[in-house]
Amino acid sequence: MAVLPPTAVTEQAAPDGRKKQNTDDTAQKRLSVFKASPATYAVLLVVSAIFFVPFILMISISLASVQTSAENAFTVFPTEFEWRNFTEVFTGTGLPVGRFIGNSVIIATLSAVGQVISSSLVGYAFARLRAPGKNFMFILVLATMMIPAQITMIPQFLLFKELGWVNTYLPLIVPNFFTNAFNVFLVRQFVSRISNQLDEAAQVDGLGYFGVYRRIILPMMWPILTAIAIFTLTHAWGDFMGPLIYLNSEESMPLALGLQYMTSTSNAMQLPPWNLIMVGSIILTLPMIVIYYLGQKYLYEMNLQGGSAGVK
Amino acid sequence: MSNVVVDEAPGAARESRGAGRRRPKMSKRRKKEALYFWLFISPWLIGFVGFLLGPMIASVYISLTEWDSFTPPEWVGLDNYAKALTEDPIFWKALWNTFFFAAVSVPLGLIIGVWLANLLNKRVKGRKLFRTFIYLPTLVPLVATAMVFKMVLAPSGPLNDLLGWFGIDGPEWLLSATWIKPALIILSVWGAGGATVLLLSAMNGIPRELYEAAEIDGASPWRQFWSVTFPQITPVIFFNLIMGLIGAFQIFSQVYILAPGGNVGGPDNASQMMVTLLFQEAFSFYHFGYASAVAWLLFVVILLFTLLAFRTAGKWVFYETEVK
Amino acid sequence: MVEMARWRRGAGLAATALLGAAALAACGGGEAEDDGTLKMVVWGGDAEKANYQARIDLFEAANPDTKIELQLIPSDQYEQKVQTMIAGGDGPDIMQVAENVNSYSSKSQLVPLDEHIEAAGLDMEQRFGPAGDLYTYEDQTYAIPDRSGAMVVFYNKDLFDAAGVEYPTAEWTQADAEAAMAELTDPAQNQWGYGGAGWWAQWWSFAYQNGGQIIDDSGQPTANSPEVVEGLQWANDLQYQHHYAPTAAEYADMGPDMGGDQAFAAQTVAMNTTGFWGIIGLKEADFNWGIAPMWQGDQQAVSGFGSGLAVTRDAANPEQAFGAIDFLTDTEAQTVVIDEALDVPANLEVQQSDAFLKPSWAPEGLNMGAFGESSEFIFRAPFIPEWNEMMAAFDDNLGTFWNEGGDAKTELDKVQTQLESIIE
Repeated sequence: MAVLPPTAVTEQAAPDGRKKQNTDDTAQKRLSVFKASPATYAVLLVVSAIFFVPFILMISISLASVQTSAENAFTVFPTEFEWRNFTEVFTGTGLPVGRFIGNSVIIATLSAVGQVISSSLVGYAFARLRAPGKNFMFILVLATMMIPAQITMIPQFLLFKELGWVNTYLPLIVPNFFTNAFNVFLVRQFVSRISNQLDEAAQVDGLGYFGVYRRIILPMMWPILTAIAIFTLTHAWGDFMGPLIYLNSEESMPLALGLQYMTSTSNAMQLPPWNLIMVGSIILTLPMIVIYYLGQKYLYEMNLQGGSAGVK
Repeated sequence: MSNVVVDEAPGAARESRGAGRRRPKMSKRRKKEALYFWLFISPWLIGFVGFLLGPMIASVYISLTEWDSFTPPEWVGLDNYAKALTEDPIFWKALWNTFFFAAVSVPLGLIIGVWLANLLNKRVKGRKLFRTFIYLPTLVPLVATAMVFKMVLAPSGPLNDLLGWFGIDGPEWLLSATWIKPALIILSVWGAGGATVLLLSAMNGIPRELYEAAEIDGASPWRQFWSVTFPQITPVIFFNLIMGLIGAFQIFSQVYILAPGGNVGGPDNASQMMVTLLFQEAFSFYHFGYASAVAWLLFVVILLFTLLAFRTAGKWVFYETEVK
Repeated sequence: MVEMARWRRGAGLAATALLGAAALAACGGGEAEDDGTLKMVVWGGDAEKANYQARIDLFEAANPDTKIELQLIPSDQYEQKVQTMIAGGDGPDIMQVAENVNSYSSKSQLVPLDEHIEAAGLDMEQRFGPAGDLYTYEDQTYAIPDRSGAMVVFYNKDLFDAAGVEYPTAEWTQADAEAAMAELTDPAQNQWGYGGAGWWAQWWSFAYQNGGQIIDDSGQPTANSPEVVEGLQWANDLQYQHHYAPTAAEYADMGPDMGGDQAFAAQTVAMNTTGFWGIIGLKEADFNWGIAPMWQGDQQAVSGFGSGLAVTRDAANPEQAFGAIDFLTDTEAQTVVIDEALDVPANLEVQQSDAFLKPSWAPEGLNMGAFGESSEFIFRAPFIPEWNEMMAAFDDNLGTFWNEGGDAKTELDKVQTQLESIIE
């Protein structure tokens, strides 16, 4: 099985090692393939609308009154506008929601930092350095993706328990400092497409391998590292299984788990406070939307173009 | 696995590998480079050995025992595997369900993903906004998705209303043994926008010269898509296919949150998937040995399909290296 | 060079963040071991949490040198979380248990309490009546009853009056109940006579009323005996033949997670069979309602609900943990269970006190005696160690049956086969 024949793409690379910007408007304007016809708009509008309906439903529920929520009488489009819910969620649930948000920020940020640091190191090595056994190692990296996470859950818990990490954020954060297969793959792809003329020159100048990584490659890795940061942030931000297993106290829960608590700790004969849960969900989603919106430029510069990307 | 070839990175001189083999002793420089290689990948290596390999070995051992996670395990050899393959009807049902889900949702997700990515790659006004909308579903927390989709998929919910406009009498989705899998596929297609990220990135990297040449030849946009865009992005499609397969075979949370009454099996086990089955066996029935065996069988299944995908790759995945 | 500066700043940030994480871990660390603090886990909602806490406060006031740290776990994740904790050797000292108690006790996860019961001079029979030996497994007691109440019939007086139907009583037969449901059902008004009996506690009651048993006295499954088949078929027919109860599809259309309890509160169904907890959800209801003991078949039988408190293997000081349980199930603490309308206290003395029979929060004339009356005919549900698997066998095989209706015999034959392989 395997993988990736990254060819040198020096001819496409500008002298500074960065790929030529393909998105310049003048080039695009001339090409019919990039022309957006009214049909394109129509399709995009319809598809966005379909994709957006569940979100509208979320907004509608989040603005519903207590009465509507208790009766489950929600409508797809908002008919009530209880903006109060957006403050109520912090005060009326009996749960420290503000604290949850802070916890989410801590866990997600540190996870992203860990992935960025570790995947850049490992990905660089797989793209640039030669060593016996490297191919085998890379196959191993990819094979780890096929192990269902549920099965290592209990042994992993035992391990973290031995380390005394239960009821801390360490089991949620620390593994990120040891990267994961997907991110290693992305970085390897990206670095493979950077011209190696510069690092060769640098090596001639006496720069060591770490020097090349730190001074030449790392500064050019920002698009891919931003992408990885976004992927990690969104994943850690929404994860509730890990926190459920490892955290015991209410004060340490992140928002995703807190929302889970809200749905299942309602009292009998009553429905969960869906309106507040949806407010919580929107609070949980919004930062990720902003981050995605602002960061998408980098996501599209991951340099995954054909020929070198993908798996062979 | 005989045709496994991992090419050298561009930074490596081409002859290096052969040379390395011929000479039993590596040069000092090579040795240093190799040392640095291991040093650089040590974060992954330590993580792998520390957090994964140990638990994996433990799970192999557990799969050969009967273990309730509380009392000492009891060695039973391959009994758990034999039980799954020959005795447990639910195992085969779950395998079929998972296969069905993967076989429909992965290609469907890819087609929709490529189609959307192609539209989003055009010079559309408000493109960033459209891209965000289409990526949005992957950002919504699971609790919210679950609740909203229970409403959307209700027998008289918005989806069936929509179908009603076209004169279709919608099914009972989550309540029906026949329709619960399609319902799960709908949920997964809703998240298909996640695939557009890598695809758009790939499309963004296609040299404009190729389109310019096609334009001069008078090719229509449709033709240009098939003759330029598509071949150029096949490696990423292939990568998405592999990732999608792995993900689809491990489907868990969607079932867990949508299954009526928290019963992951769904009506008549129609939504019982491999991972929900092993989850139930492990955490509800305390059959950790059996659950571990199911997990390893799942690993084998995923491996088989991945290898199958690799076998077909030569026919349709286009690599620059091959034409040069 | 700008990039360099950025990197340096980034690295600095990362290092600071890491230090922060380490510090966080240090202060967040669970050093709850051996400082005399008891960790107690329960499931439920806000009301449960507040109630247990109120009782713990009483305990701590009386025992200043012992602290109890209460942890509430969402009901649907309770087992998995507790299992992971116990498997990791990090189990609580005290845990709430119910029907699946013996999946823990059969695996030596709970400490037998007989020795402590004796030492404390606790008379289980006297304190809890027939519920006293509910949590025994192989002649050893593994949990002390804490909450215990029969399932009762909740009925909407307004709807009964409007339809001119007599209120339910313990003397009602299944036929009487069915006749009343017919009167109370008006699909045009989106009104049904009954909330349905798809939950085991509900339709098992009918099976036991017919003289059936799910597991017989010798421990063999008898899920497809004629009595059980008849009970299940009747329950299903109410929903799908006669349509006196909303179908699964109709419930799904009412919104996510709707069931008989919520539909009763919304006045969609006129009768609902559920446990005491229904009362708390109806505290603010703007209609008149009442409770009555379950109707009968060939004999009287009804499901009992309840939960007990157990001491786990991981308890550093089982005696101390038992002491806490003893206190929590004694008169003073059990009275708190009523004060907030949480549940029926397992303690008989409290059950028979005025505090329970005439609670301040109850609507005028609420028949609280229904619980005491019912406790005499609660059937003994089979708390086998394989409880969860048994439940899954019913859920799996009856899924379509409860969603679309069908033939009880066919489905129960399948369940029986599966139960026979589960219970060896």
